[in-house]
Amino acid sequence: MSESFEPKIIAFVCTYCTYTGADLAGTSRLKYAPNVRIIRLPCTGRISPMFILKALQQGADGILVSGCHPGDCHFTHGNYHARRRWMVFRTLLDFTGIPSERIKFSWISAAEGHKFAELINSVTDDIRKLGPFDQYKNLIRETEAPATL
Amino acid sequence: MTIQEKYKARVKELLSTGAVKMVIGYKPGSTAERRRPLFMRSPEEADQLVLDTACIANLAGYLVAEGLLSDDKRVGIFLKPDGIRSINILAAEAQLNIDQIVVLGFDIDGQEVNALEGESAGDFSALIESIKDHAPEAPRNPLIEQIEQMNPIQRFDFWQTEFSRCIKCYACRQACPMCYCRRCIVDSNQPQWINTSSHTLGNLEWNIIRAFHLSGRCVGCGNCDRACPVNIPLRLINARMGQEVLGAFDHFAGMSETQEPVLASFKKDDSETFIL
Repeated sequence: MSESFEPKIIAFVCTYCTYTGADLAGTSRLKYAPNVRIIRLPCTGRISPMFILKALQQGADGILVSGCHPGDCHFTHGNYHARRRWMVFRTLLDFTGIPSERIKFSWISAAEGHKFAELINSVTDDIRKLGPFDQYKNLIRETEAPATL
Repeated sequence: MTIQEKYKARVKELLSTGAVKMVIGYKPGSTAERRRPLFMRSPEEADQLVLDTACIANLAGYLVAEGLLSDDKRVGIFLKPDGIRSINILAAEAQLNIDQIVVLGFDIDGQEVNALEGESAGDFSALIESIKDHAPEAPRNPLIEQIEQMNPIQRFDFWQTEFSRCIKCYACRQACPMCYCRRCIVDSNQPQWINTSSHTLGNLEWNIIRAFHLSGRCVGCGNCDRACPVNIPLRLINARMGQEVLGAFDHFAGMSETQEPVLASFKKDDSETFIL
């Protein structure tokens, strides 16, 4: 692993809490690692496991999924459903060899701009230490190679 | 009277009285140890019926064949306890009306086939309850332990080796009684979530999503595992996910026709130790 490795991290966030929290981090002029690409969704309940696989398929080294704290969901219980889904999906990924350290989950409210900035920094550090997700990238490369007979 | 003769008489009675319009059972297959589904519409057809220790396939999936139950007539079906759990799930997911199903229950115990008392799926709830109670101490597949001992890199390699054989025939999906979607996620192309090509990445994605969609729904009948032409141990992933939902949410698939699907329900105090 070269020293200059910068991870690509995809963050799937809910618009009511974490995205607004990220906004607050911005308007508060907080600095955080530029490695994260934020994708805004209506609710964590809208975040399908397909999104996580798609992000990996496109070469992400790490993934962050974040939304409202339990009880704060704009749609009253979208995040409760999401929590169960992640619990199961996380175990599944772990069992198939996709390290759970690369897929992070968090609750960040609209008021937690600081928590957002700190979390992005710590997640980026963690993934940087893990290095690029070479095993998955090899599979992606294989898909681009011409077919062999 | 052997259990086979007993059930043959029962099927003839059901069909001749018009209590059911069809009975789904087993008949001899292409080799001595194989069985093929038999769809009996008249008492005479029941003569072909076979019921022995080779009748291991879960027939529940045939019940959701298009139009079969739409005339409100009843259908009889031979089911082991896992099959009974399957129809409970199908009923809970509003795929069939459980009152239309006449269960001809049996269980295989080593070299013996035993009849199960009961006629409707609800009659077997005590049996399913006891299976659930014994689930935690049931012997785990040693391979699951072995996989869990590996580090993520070894696990990834293990599954990559298994999945690299996959030819994306989707036999696992066709054989599964739970895979009833008219349009499977792999058939959707706007957007195309999963690579349709049979390269290892596409195979990995397909198998992850298949296992995820079966989490908390799989009853471990093994239809997918037996259908796989390249012997990918699909049952291991399903079993692991079954352990997870049982441990984390005390959910055992197919307890009753009113059981809420595990991923369509929640508790406010569900575990969330992994959330930052």
